[in-house]
Amino acid sequence: MSARVKTIARRGASLQERLYLIEICKGMATSFGHFFRNLLDNSRLAVRHYPEVPPEIPVRWRGRHRLTNHPDGTMKCVACFMCQTNCPAHCITIEAGERLDGRAEKMPRRFQIDLLECIYCGYCVEACPLDAIRMDTGIYSVNGTRRDAFLLDLTALQAGQGAFPEDDYQKGGA
Amino acid sequence: MTSLDYLLIALRVAFAAFVPLCFIAVCVWMERRGAGFFQDRSGPNRAAIFGFRAAGLVQNLADAAKLIFKEDVISGHIKHKFIFVLAPVIVFFAALVSFAVVPFADTLVLGGRSYIMQGVPVDLGILWFLALAGFAVYGIILAGWSSTNKYGILGGLRSAAQVISYEIPMALAVIGVLIVYGTVNLNEMAQFQGQLLFGFIPMWGAVLQPLGMVIFIVAAFAETNRTPFDLAEGESEIVAGFHVEYSAMKFAVFFMGEYVALFVSSAIIVTLFFGGYQVPFLATATLIDNARPVAFLLLLLLPVAMYFFAGWIRRNNVSHYPRENDPRAFEAKVYIRGLWGLVVVIELALLAILFFASPGGPAAHIFAALLQVCTFLVKVTLMLFVYVWVRWTLPRFRYDQLQKLGWQILLPLALLNIFVTSAVVVILS
Repeated sequence: MSARVKTIARRGASLQERLYLIEICKGMATSFGHFFRNLLDNSRLAVRHYPEVPPEIPVRWRGRHRLTNHPDGTMKCVACFMCQTNCPAHCITIEAGERLDGRAEKMPRRFQIDLLECIYCGYCVEACPLDAIRMDTGIYSVNGTRRDAFLLDLTALQAGQGAFPEDDYQKGGA
Repeated sequence: MTSLDYLLIALRVAFAAFVPLCFIAVCVWMERRGAGFFQDRSGPNRAAIFGFRAAGLVQNLADAAKLIFKEDVISGHIKHKFIFVLAPVIVFFAALVSFAVVPFADTLVLGGRSYIMQGVPVDLGILWFLALAGFAVYGIILAGWSSTNKYGILGGLRSAAQVISYEIPMALAVIGVLIVYGTVNLNEMAQFQGQLLFGFIPMWGAVLQPLGMVIFIVAAFAETNRTPFDLAEGESEIVAGFHVEYSAMKFAVFFMGEYVALFVSSAIIVTLFFGGYQVPFLATATLIDNARPVAFLLLLLLPVAMYFFAGWIRRNNVSHYPRENDPRAFEAKVYIRGLWGLVVVIELALLAILFFASPGGPAAHIFAALLQVCTFLVKVTLMLFVYVWVRWTLPRFRYDQLQKLGWQILLPLALLNIFVTSAVVVILS
């Protein structure tokens, strides 16, 4: 397999280009075309009117985290610490406790994610052996006026809802 | 001195002092919205007072409020605090004062007395501008030096070298203009440009001195530290250059000084090469004699222009996403009504001129002066747009390219321009 070589013609050597003013005028004509089109009809602008028009979130997009449940409402997480160990930003803090619902031996008594530390890499989702943590809430904007507001605890994580149908998530999910 | 004398002195000084300041807002607005439109963005269009955004002009108020209330830091390592504070003042003051000699209307004759229409009644004209343009760079050098910061001093040095290099072609381009007009007084230059070449081309500097115009405009871009010659800022290499240590209002004064300099250099370019305050094809005398037909023409044209402008506002001042009771449509309606009200007032004034102004009377003189002020401001605004246009089209020059362009290309061309111009003037006279 030989490398394909594409020779690109050097530009800028001809007299017309070396005069510079002509090329400047051409460039200015191009940029003025954009200006004038947008001035006549500003619906052509390539902008999203952000707070009012939300961005389209694809299924694989990593948003805020949530902890998933079994169909009967019990928590999937078994406090195996895989996510906490994998987290490169050290934003997950788990405290394990005894589990009494018979599903497994352990469950998290405390599960905290510090969103100010989180880098949204998705390693926790990949590490989880039980599909207990997901980043499919579609929440792209997390804000607050106090640092405490960015500490997600167990209840907040469990309350999160997936933004996509389960089939789509299974097909394209991270 | 009569009270009319005092009134007109107050008016012309106020015009020379406040119009450049008002144009800071216009420049910043044009720069930011223009940049947006050049790049298919919308630019700042959200800041509003009671939902009225004034096409983004309200953003300027928000910016000003922010800059005024920011903490004004003078770092502990700065030893020469006086010079550090003085530097932005020099930049701003030199820019503002250099507008004082630019005429914004022809000499107004009222009751047998003539009133000159420029800030300061001196005959220095273009020399005053050249002197003060050279003075403004002291502010930049002092700012860079007193910052005790490597980026600051590099920016200051670059700016100094650049201004010195480009002042030479600029002054030489001006010499060509002086040969043609035979005067340094800007008002006399503008009067000269009111004539017609071969009876149908306005005798503007752009027609008589095309090469001089190109050289002067390029040098003016360099003098105002604008793209493509804004190496003094060079945010990619030297952070922000000379104003890297400045914060809050001290930075704002630099910023405003830059835009005032922009306005003044546009005004100078317009006065030297684009007929100054002259209405195209209508010299002052013609305008005064034909005040009535001109007023009648404006009377007809103004509503037509306003009709299309209103349509444009209605089409563009809407939300481009589904929204119930679109507040922007209401906003547009208010703007259109307000502008129509303004048009009606102007129409009434024009009607008054149409019925009561005798040819050559005081009303005709005032009408001509007002029309010239408007023409001047429109021309300057167009030139400011060219500055914005160039800024968002061209990339920045490398430092050696800048010096090469200044010394090896513009300087010989400017000398050639002087020789050719002198030869032509000698042959024709």
